[in-house]
Amino acid sequence: MASTTFRVFRYQPDSGDLESYHQDFNLDHEEKTTVLDALLRIQNEQDGTLAVRYSCRSAICGSCACKVNGKTVLACMTQVEEAKAESGSSTLQVDPIGNFAPIKDLVVDMTPFWDKFKAVKPFLIPDGPAPDKERLVPKAAMEKVAKESACILCAACYSECNSLAADPEFVGPAAFAWGYRFAADERDSQRKNRAKLYSGQHGIWDCTRCMFCNERCPKGVDPRDAIEKLGAIAFQEKVTKDKGARHAKAFLISMRTGGKLNEQLVGGFTDPVGGAFNAPLALRMLQKGKLPASPLTHKVKNRDQVTKLIKNVKETI
Amino acid sequence: MPRQFAYYPGCVAEFSSKELNATTKALAPLLDIELLPMPQATCCGAGDIAEAKPNLYLTLNVRILSEAEEMGVDILTICNVCTLNLRRANKMVKEDPRLLEQVNGELVNAGARPYQGTIDVTHLLWYLATEEGLSLLEQRGPRGLNGLKVAPYYGCQLLRPSSVMGFEDPDRPQSLERLITALGGEVADYDGKTRCCGFPIILAREEVALKESHVALSGARDAGAQVMVTPCPLCHLAMDAYQRKTEQLMGEEYAMPVLHLPQLIGLALGMPTQTMEFKRHFTPMDEVLETVGA
Repeated sequence: MASTTFRVFRYQPDSGDLESYHQDFNLDHEEKTTVLDALLRIQNEQDGTLAVRYSCRSAICGSCACKVNGKTVLACMTQVEEAKAESGSSTLQVDPIGNFAPIKDLVVDMTPFWDKFKAVKPFLIPDGPAPDKERLVPKAAMEKVAKESACILCAACYSECNSLAADPEFVGPAAFAWGYRFAADERDSQRKNRAKLYSGQHGIWDCTRCMFCNERCPKGVDPRDAIEKLGAIAFQEKVTKDKGARHAKAFLISMRTGGKLNEQLVGGFTDPVGGAFNAPLALRMLQKGKLPASPLTHKVKNRDQVTKLIKNVKETI
Repeated sequence: MPRQFAYYPGCVAEFSSKELNATTKALAPLLDIELLPMPQATCCGAGDIAEAKPNLYLTLNVRILSEAEEMGVDILTICNVCTLNLRRANKMVKEDPRLLEQVNGELVNAGARPYQGTIDVTHLLWYLATEEGLSLLEQRGPRGLNGLKVAPYYGCQLLRPSSVMGFEDPDRPQSLERLITALGGEVADYDGKTRCCGFPIILAREEVALKESHVALSGARDAGAQVMVTPCPLCHLAMDAYQRKTEQLMGEEYAMPVLHLPQLIGLALGMPTQTMEFKRHFTPMDEVLETVGA
């Protein structure tokens, strides 16, 4: 037997109390008890008003994501004793997932998540009339989207997404994992349209590459990698007007012309219009020697190898 | 015998943030490290080439790894983004012999040396935050930071994804804290130290990026830090060069000087301040220099 103090986020606006707080519950439990089992025992044995969202208890339904000592996990696949050992704390603080408004205790309003999910058209859009039988796909083609197909929509990736915290409209990691899953499906007819749809203002180029989504995903989906692959699809489909895509283009041009980053090029090329508003900063950077006065490129040794690779290497996205 | 590394400073330290490169080169002999140049090495692509042309990203990075392999030494970096891009490519080809064969086919066609998969990529912070590294610092003597209150700022890509980086717990990193303490400084702890600086999208989505860097800057300020230290020159640009813009956007003042990691060590070891080129920083370093008596 083990014993743990659970410091649980409480928020019960229906009772008239609009302030949230943390409440401690002490529980004796088995060594292998999960956080979800512990929360349900607290609900059954100590406080029936504790609100927890859950369904399958086996890491398939994606309902019970929450933060345990600050780290977003599925409550059903996290053992209490392991979480204590990992965080070096005898108390487990349990909070709702981040970047969403709480409704009651650990239950948050998922409406924005589902709206964004729907917005990426997370379904197959094939061309032409339906065939008599199923549309057969070679195994290798499906392997391309196998990782992303494992997403259970638990929103653990949204909980600590740094771009979403700064821009609540960012479409976000899970939705784009689904977007890639269909954009890269060879039965889908909307590859270019999807590239356009996903390249909007709050789209793939909003991702700041903080890598929290890859770190937190309980299913190994690696949503950031999916966003990266959507970038490559956008390039392949020549959907490259967004400033984010132009930023990537500036790196390609630098590589083509010298091999190292041409910092003078990258600012002006990424944002030729808005860049003017950054003139005061650019001037100060110039004064501090942070922008080289010369627009010359930096050439590496054996650059012909780089030139040949740029010419020869084919993309297989 | 000094420990030899193939030195990969990355584009930002070589050009925009030359002070980082200069300080690292001055620091290396003091720590018994020999930095060997990599004349063929290109940019790692900073995640941007991976986002546009993933196969090209992989091939270019393996070409960099191969140059170090030919030199017979591991790569040492001083940038989070370079570290992630090089380590990711290394992991991909080391774990998949067929992929390595394909990439080597491209390299040989282009006249470049094929890669055998024998070298490792490490960051200066990782090298120094081990027992071996800390004892190197100890041998150099003075615990010279004189109680300077330092906010460690890791940024993202030296920690996550941990499956590629793997040096320490990405949620409870301690390497910077160990160094700050060993050098006689005091750690100003705060939640934002593992959050993003926003730099990768600062040119394409400036407002989103600045709101991100606000989290760390305000956290460090509220923890009473006199200075922030970072192992990444991109984080440094976001936190230092863009700090005034973030102040204007958020309507707050941080007045937070930002040190590159080797500058923190240089200060503690009594390196001349001119060598560390603080004149290239945006946020004044006066109080920091006064505290450490530099």
